[in-house]
Amino acid sequence: MNQTESDLIARSKSGDKDAFNGLFSQSQNYIFNFLFQLTGDVAEADDLTQETFLIAYRKLSDFRSESSLRTWLGKIAVNLFRRRCRRNKRNHNGETVNFEKIKIPSDDYSPERIIIKAELQWCIRHNLQYHIPKKFRIVLILRDLQNFSYREIADILGWSVGLTKTNIYRARKMFRDVFINGKCRAFADDFCCTCREITQL
Amino acid sequence: MNCKEIYSLFSEYYDQELNAEARALIKEHIANCQNCRSEYKIFRKCIKILKKMKLADVPRDYI
Repeated sequence: MNQTESDLIARSKSGDKDAFNGLFSQSQNYIFNFLFQLTGDVAEADDLTQETFLIAYRKLSDFRSESSLRTWLGKIAVNLFRRRCRRNKRNHNGETVNFEKIKIPSDDYSPERIIIKAELQWCIRHNLQYHIPKKFRIVLILRDLQNFSYREIADILGWSVGLTKTNIYRARKMFRDVFINGKCRAFADDFCCTCREITQL
Repeated sequence: MNCKEIYSLFSEYYDQELNAEARALIKEHIANCQNCRSEYKIFRKCIKILKKMKLADVPRDYI
């Protein structure tokens, strides 16, 4: 941690709002995208991002600089996401089936290229969201999309480094299997996924 | 190490989390085993594909 950051933390802890802004304004993009990758939903990511910074503001006095601020914020965001999932599961009546459909752009001079790129984006997001269990989705996002180290992921998720290594491997293998073996019927059915797994995660 | 054991280390090999000895062992195995070489290529490609996931625009100021 550099001098500026520790100074901003000290000032933020004593209630200096400008210091808090200086400390966290750079993290907005990271936290929002992290939560968007986890939830797959802009409104939910928006809501959880707001809650993350609210908790960060309230609990900054608990921050002991044992981890980086980025890791600390990530931990708050993951815990909020897990709590939201538990709540959604309790409220879910089991009757809704999610059908996702790709949006194909129609007004581009190179439609084929755009469609291929859109398909890929849709497929990555869809596989993550509906074919990878939550525990492994979190690990994949932390490691491969947010570039956290094994040690940092272990801190965020409260695991040992050994367990973190094993779960990163299992999560990547799972992504490889669903992506390559095509458990998802997205390409076979007009980009509309009706696979069984979609209702079970 | 057999192919199954090598496969289980692909993730740490990709992240350069293994010690020099283990790394050299996998490198040598991959060089000599067509099946593991092909599997590692797919494994690595899938991680690269995942990394292509686009970032979203932040909708507003939260601070």
